[in-house]
Parts: sequence; C-alpha cells; structure tokens
Amino acid sequence: MDRKTLLADFIKTEIIRNRNAQLDESEDLLGAGILDSLSILKLVAHIDESFGIEIPDEDVVYENFHSLKAIVDYLQKFP
Amino acid sequence: MRYLLFQAVDIAAERFPDANAIQYTGQCLTYAELSTLSSQLAQVLIKQGVSRGDRVGIYMNKGLESAVAIYGIMKAGGAYVPLDPFAPIKRIDYVIKDCGIRHLISKPAKLDSLHQILNADSPIEHIIGLGAQEGLKVNSVSWDEVSNASERLPSLSLTEQDLAYILYTSGSTGMPKGIMHTHRSGLSFAEWGATTYMLAPEDRLSNHAPLHFDLSTFDFFASSIAGATTVIVPEAFSKFPANMAKFIEEEKITVWYSVPFALIQMMQHGKLNARDCGALRWILFAGEVFPTKHLRQLMSMLPKVKFSNLYGPTETNVCTYYHVDKIPDDTDETIPIGIPCANIEDLVVDLDDTVVSRGEVGELLIRGGVVMKGYWGQPEKTRSSFFRRVVFDQFNDVFYRTGDLVQLDENGNYRYLGRKDRQVKTRGYRVELDEVEVALLAHLGVEEAAVYTIPDGQGSNLIEAAIIPKEGTDISESELVVHISKRLPAYAVPVKINIVSSFPRTSTGKIDRRELQSLAIEAKNE
Repeated sequence: MDRKTLLADFIKTEIIRNRNAQLDESEDLLGAGILDSLSILKLVAHIDESFGIEIPDEDVVYENFHSLKAIVDYLQKFP
Repeated sequence: MRYLLFQAVDIAAERFPDANAIQYTGQCLTYAELSTLSSQLAQVLIKQGVSRGDRVGIYMNKGLESAVAIYGIMKAGGAYVPLDPFAPIKRIDYVIKDCGIRHLISKPAKLDSLHQILNADSPIEHIIGLGAQEGLKVNSVSWDEVSNASERLPSLSLTEQDLAYILYTSGSTGMPKGIMHTHRSGLSFAEWGATTYMLAPEDRLSNHAPLHFDLSTFDFFASSIAGATTVIVPEAFSKFPANMAKFIEEEKITVWYSVPFALIQMMQHGKLNARDCGALRWILFAGEVFPTKHLRQLMSMLPKVKFSNLYGPTETNVCTYYHVDKIPDDTDETIPIGIPCANIEDLVVDLDDTVVSRGEVGELLIRGGVVMKGYWGQPEKTRSSFFRRVVFDQFNDVFYRTGDLVQLDENGNYRYLGRKDRQVKTRGYRVELDEVEVALLAHLGVEEAAVYTIPDGQGSNLIEAAIIPKEGTDISESELVVHISKRLPAYAVPVKINIVSSFPRTSTGKIDRRELQSLAIEAKNE
C-alpha cells in the first residue's frame, strides 16, 4: 500500500476513530476539527513508526499538515 | 462612565480611533471601525426583534467578525452565547434550544452545519452573516448588508446588572450548563486584568482560547479597556506548537494568555527558544495546574518575561492570582494559586459550611464583582451553588462555592489541592466525568459505565472509560466512540474505552473507580 492509503487508514481508524468514514485527500483536517493537538502528536509518532521518518518539530506546522494531500506531499522529501 | 462591556470599545474609538482593536491574519479592524460595525450589527439585530436579555448565538470559526459579533450583540441589549464551532451538532442543538437562541451570527463556511442545525424544531429565526441566496429556510442577512445599516448606537436602558454573555460548560447531569455573566461580572475581571498587568495602547494581546472558553474574555475585554490590540491566533495554528511560537515572534505579542498545555507544547515541540520573543512582557496562564518542572524550564527560557498564574472557575471569571517568583531548583512543589483579586472576599469552609481555621483545608468560597449571576434555566442548581452568610436581618452576603479544595500557606497564598466532586481538567478543558458516563449509558448496549482519568505524562489528564455490555449484546469500542462523539466535544471523548465483564467494587457494591484508575495506570505503564 502507498503512504497515502496507509495514512488515510490510520487517520480513519485511530484519529477519526470511524466517526466519519469519508476522508477526502484535500479535506481541511483542521477546519473540520479532525486533527487536534493530541492527534497531531499521534500522527507524527505513527509516521516515525511506520515509515521510519522522523519529522523535525519545526516542520510539524499547519502548512504541512492541513490535509492528507499536504502531508503526503511533504513526506516526498523523504523518499 | 463605563459600566457596560461595549462602552470600552466606544471610549477607545474616541481616544484612539485609528488604533487597531482586532487583528486576524493580515486583516485589522481599528477601534473606530469596530465601534461602528458593532453598532450596525446591533441595529440589524434590533430590527430582527432582539431585545434586552435575548440570547444570540455566535457560531463560526474565529475571525474579525467574532469581535463585531460580541460587541454588536451586547449593543443590541442581548447576551452573546459562543457555540463551539467544532462541537457535535447534537450538542450545538441542545445549547440553542436550552437557552432559546432565535438569532445566530455565522459565516458561509458553516453552511453545511447550519443546514443540520436548522431542523424542524429549531428555534432559530434569523441568521446574520450569510446572504439570502444560500437556500436556508430562515431569514438571513449578509455581512455586507450589516455594513450598510445605521451607524447609530441603539439607545437602550441597559445597566451593569444586565446579562452580557453565557458560557456553556460540561454538566454533571449529562447536559452542558450555561453560566450567566453580567456586564458587571465581565467588567470586574477585565478592569482588574487591565490594571494588574498594566495594559497600555501599545500592547498586543494574543487570543488563543476559543470564545466559549472564559480565558477569551480577558483577551477581548481587558484589551479594549486599555485601547490595546487583540491578535487572534488562527484556530488551525493553535494546534501546531511551531506555528504558535512563530506567531508570538511575528506578531510581536506582548501579553500571552493560554492554558499551560499550549505553552508546554511550544517549549517542547515549537522551538520557542529559537524565536525572538523580545516584545513579550507577560505570560499569563489559567485553566489547569502548570507542572512546576515545565514552568521552571519555560521561565529560564524567557528570563525577561513575567509570569502570572490566574485561577478561577468560569463562574467567577478569575478570582485569585499569583505572580510567579523564580522557582527554586530543588523542589517541584506546585506553585500557589495566590491571593484574591481586588473587590473579592474569600472564605474557606469545611463540609458543614463552618469557616476553617487559618491554614486548614477546605472549600474556597468567593464573593465579589466577578461572580456569575447563575446557571441559565436552573434555579435549583443556582441556589445550591451559592452560600449565604447572614450579616443582619434581610441582608446576606452571597458567596459562590467553587468546589475547589484549597489551603492557605505560610506566605498567605492559596494552594489548590483538588476537587470536591468529579470535575476534571484535560489539557485545560473542563469536563464532568459524570457527563461522559451518562453519554456512554445512553447507548442501548451499555449496562454499566465508569469514567476516570489517567495522567498524560505532561502534568495533565486523559479520560479513559470502562463499560460492561448488556447481556447478549455485541458491542465494539469504535461503535461506542461513534455514539459518544455525537454527544460530546472531542476533548471529552475517552482516549480508550475498555469493554469488560465486571468492575472492581467497593464493600457497598459501588463501582470502585479509583481501583479502575490504578489498573489503567498500571496497564499503561507496562
């Protein structure tokens, strides 16, 4: 599975916790109230565990995390 | 003379018309603009039938319009009721019906949610902030139309005793309750804050807290008293420590006010130490205990900044404060909540409402200008939340019972020891554990439920639950999460729901929540 699918699965099961099965790649994760400070930490830890990518703190910003697409685009820095 | 909250804006508009009152991302409203726009909104609201004491909802993500809404509603004689834009629709619907909101201030971005809120039995009659073309079944007026209304301040016979705002918070009966504040209680706090922190027109205050959280009243009201600028932290930024730290630097914030969690996050994950916080004078925090080791670290990172711990349940705005001195290296003892603010009398009583001797543990009672009027629509709950001390015939002092256990230390500062009941804080949010239990029990498959906290390792709490399913039902954790998320805000949804066949019990057969909590902590540490 590609990163996008894996991340989408994680967000659905562990963060949205199946409250809303729909997750569009451009959905505004903050505006929709899907991500909060706690779940951002979870997501960053998950990316480290499953892809071996340690995201530096200064990159954990709105610009890189506002949508699934933004996260995947950002992660392309780490091939 | 200033005796209504919005008068602070109108006075500032005369003294500093071109000074910025509110800033959001790149946009600003000057005091003159805020004063005019809020009067125009008031005119529109009055035309739509708002009269003194009416509750008007604010349902939108934060922006310049938030300030216009707050002051415009009050200028129309109404009380503003901030609705959490991230709360489940069911909860919003409950609050709207509970306090009979007929008018809502909103923005087009909330259209989808508004369609769900405007169900058949919704009391909403008017929406401001949307054009008529959006296909809603109620009367709606756009922000453009508001800016064409009369600029005259409505002439109403308002007094400082009138209702100014209602803040809804978690309720132990399973439904949120509305805390009613008057112009006087709001002003008492704001005037104390503006004086104590010596706010001046040059100051730039952050607004980090959501509007439905009482910290926001300082950011808006104390700032307008001083003619200072309130810079709203965009909601999306407030979730990212690195964005928040950058915000402090770029916006040259001079006074930051938030829950400790936001500050700890900025320190640990936001590279705050790499930021230029040269403009910062004060860091104020409230809502929860600031773990001493984190506070010490933050204070050494920002040696030129002064720190103040503000304490008070939403019912009293803020009632005690403590300016933090240098924290010794050899102790992690919790910092005090300090001394009463001006115009406040404090009392510590035991379980029989007898005043304890100095230095003994008891419940803190508070009397003074900052205290709320009561709980909306709950006269019985209001009565029981106040303690009356007879002074002489037909003359009583009225104290609010905080429910917080405190002790006066040898320096004359109060120390916070815990709660009398089952109210908890999770990362600054106030939650009644009983409300979460009621929400779980509302699921048909749940026989019994117990909700408790576990430490989050950062000095705050996470909420966890255990349930016993009804016999013969097959129930999953995710099904329960879906169920409960429709009723409670995300921060109150347990991080884990354990499905078990029995609970530890006390000798009288009650659920032993303390034992459940210990077991959960053990399990987490394994």
